[in-house]
Amino acid sequence: MSSRRNPGSQSSLREANRARILDAITHHGALTQVELAAVTGLSPATVSNIVKEQAAAGVLATTPTSRSGRRAVRVTLARELGLVVGLHVANRQLRLALADAGHQVLAERMLPLARDHRADSELDRVMLLIRDMAESVGAGLDEVLAVGVGLAAPVDPRTGLIATAGLLRGWDGVPVAEELESRLHRPVFVDNEANLGALAEYRIGAAQGVRQAAYLRLSHGVGAGLIVDGRVYRGGSGKAGEIGHVTLDEQGLVCRCGNRGCLETLVGASALAAKFPGSHGEVKLRDVVLRADAGEALARRVIADAGRHLGIALAGLSNLIDPHRIVVGGELAEAGEMLLSPLRHALERSTLATAAGVPEVVKGELGERAELLGAVLFAIDRAQITAGRTDGPIRTVAAAPAPDILPGIGGILPGLSPQISPERGGLAS
Amino acid sequence: MTVLSPEPVQGAPTSELVLSMRGIDKNFGAVQALTAIDLDIYSGEVVALVGDNGAGKSTLIKILAGVHPKDGGTITDGDKSVTINNPAESGALGIATVYQDLALCDNLDVVANLFLGHELGRGTIDEVEMEKRSWELLRQLSARIPSVRIPVASLSGGQRQTVAIARSLIGDPRIVILDEPTAALGVAQTAEVLNLIERLRERGLAVVLISHNMADVQAVADRIVVLRLGRNNGEFKVADVTYEDIIAAITGASDNAVTRRAQARVGSPEAADDAVPPPDVAPPEEARP
Repeated sequence: MSSRRNPGSQSSLREANRARILDAITHHGALTQVELAAVTGLSPATVSNIVKEQAAAGVLATTPTSRSGRRAVRVTLARELGLVVGLHVANRQLRLALADAGHQVLAERMLPLARDHRADSELDRVMLLIRDMAESVGAGLDEVLAVGVGLAAPVDPRTGLIATAGLLRGWDGVPVAEELESRLHRPVFVDNEANLGALAEYRIGAAQGVRQAAYLRLSHGVGAGLIVDGRVYRGGSGKAGEIGHVTLDEQGLVCRCGNRGCLETLVGASALAAKFPGSHGEVKLRDVVLRADAGEALARRVIADAGRHLGIALAGLSNLIDPHRIVVGGELAEAGEMLLSPLRHALERSTLATAAGVPEVVKGELGERAELLGAVLFAIDRAQITAGRTDGPIRTVAAAPAPDILPGIGGILPGLSPQISPERGGLAS
Repeated sequence: MTVLSPEPVQGAPTSELVLSMRGIDKNFGAVQALTAIDLDIYSGEVVALVGDNGAGKSTLIKILAGVHPKDGGTITDGDKSVTINNPAESGALGIATVYQDLALCDNLDVVANLFLGHELGRGTIDEVEMEKRSWELLRQLSARIPSVRIPVASLSGGQRQTVAIARSLIGDPRIVILDEPTAALGVAQTAEVLNLIERLRERGLAVVLISHNMADVQAVADRIVVLRLGRNNGEFKVADVTYEDIIAAITGASDNAVTRRAQARVGSPEAADDAVPPPDVAPPEEARP
């Protein structure tokens, strides 16, 4: 599906064709060779050669099948190491990814959700979607090693329950890990979405190699994930990084968390929508960004004001945990410099000056998928810990990255029996 | 309701009134199917039309699609009044309808279905250009179709729905009407169609969605118009309505003897002597301490 490149040599042409085939399979999950030729525009012979070569290299896997009554070869990505599922439940949408242990996302699904969605019915749908994704890549549910879940509310690492009621109303008091485990019979691990977004940006995104970093998620609500000394910091009860509920204006509006004048009452999706009086219908965050991109003055101003408020809140955060880089993600981050330059300005004005200067503020590299990819990474990490607990065929993940991100994987684990510590929501430091 | 933003910006998904229906009546012989129905359609907005079976949803969109002529009322496009007497006039107004049965030709491939009746090329059919445009369109809709050269019969339910919706976009419409797009689909295909509806909204199209599934409606709609027994029975913004309110409006739970008595009391306070005094009225002087 990638645009046509202009290759310089035979070998670079082959390289480009190889990438095109891998892209197509990643996008569609599984295809027959004939379909691959149609999708990529390559000749059937080229497809056949490249598939054979990549199958020998262990990148692709082929299975015989039939298509319209004829023999065909079904091509999928190789997944000898087992699969993991990442799930991101946001306020208005749900994202699911099925990935192999080599971080390759094999299938992805997205589903818009109703405003006050409920855990029971959504988990039933998640179950069906996971089954459908597994089918689309020709896998069984028993190949799933673990499921990582990101929720749009702080999750208490000790209990795995949502720590603050009212932020994701239909999911309060629901033991998500147990609920999903009883449906899937695979281990499930739950964390806050911003923590997972931070994990993803730290491992494979805009904060790679920055051991002191913060990730800011600007979506329906506002949250942050903190990377302290190269690990996700979750705090005592899981609410570390809940920057959306920092009080900026004591006389402000009442927030959905029950307090008054939180950052979210100034820059949350509904707060921004309320700044467009007279427009018909609901103004969504994407609409605000699209309008600003089209040059509408009001939308640009609303985004700039939001940047200013965020800068002040981030100055506080920066004084407390002193990150080197702040990555801004979520739907509003799509506004780019319109949001970031007023944010940097306010941050510089309010934060404590040090010799190293102020933290660098950049836009996330993973976009709206950061939390989802974080959930996948989280599941891969955890699958490794609990490999001995799964009742299916025991497979340890070899290709997992340096396991120093989550406390418990590196040093604590060997002496820690998984049975004793079920660790639903991630370990508290 | 009809407040418009003063200066619509080019390319931005602003909400403008595209089509307005006022006081629409329709009867089939002795059966009064629609009575004084009002419906406004805005660009860049998904409006859901919900109601029980026989509430008049399909009749109303068939009037928009030019299948049935209306018996009374007005339809205005901007500030001029329009009539829709046949499907061609509906198409000329920029209205595209995707029916529940999709009306695809199973034996033809995706490209042929998309361009059926609108084939490109003079004299000979320009298959290359049609295929290119098909890919372009399907990519814009982030559709998952393995090949545009396979017969529609071999596609899944969600993919067929995608093709049907993509076909409705060929004529560059302003309004897309979807009649029960998720009724016969599984969860994964439903997800695909709901995403597609969001894409349409982002492209600035007006979407009219008919559905019985409240979860789907609440997930993608901006506004919900409830019909009951051929009449308007409430209009809600999704942002401030609960599931129970919608169900109450659909089933008429909010319209019963108690509520009618309450309404009568508001109208003429003396008319309801025998009824218990409304709780929000202050007690009489002598009852106070």
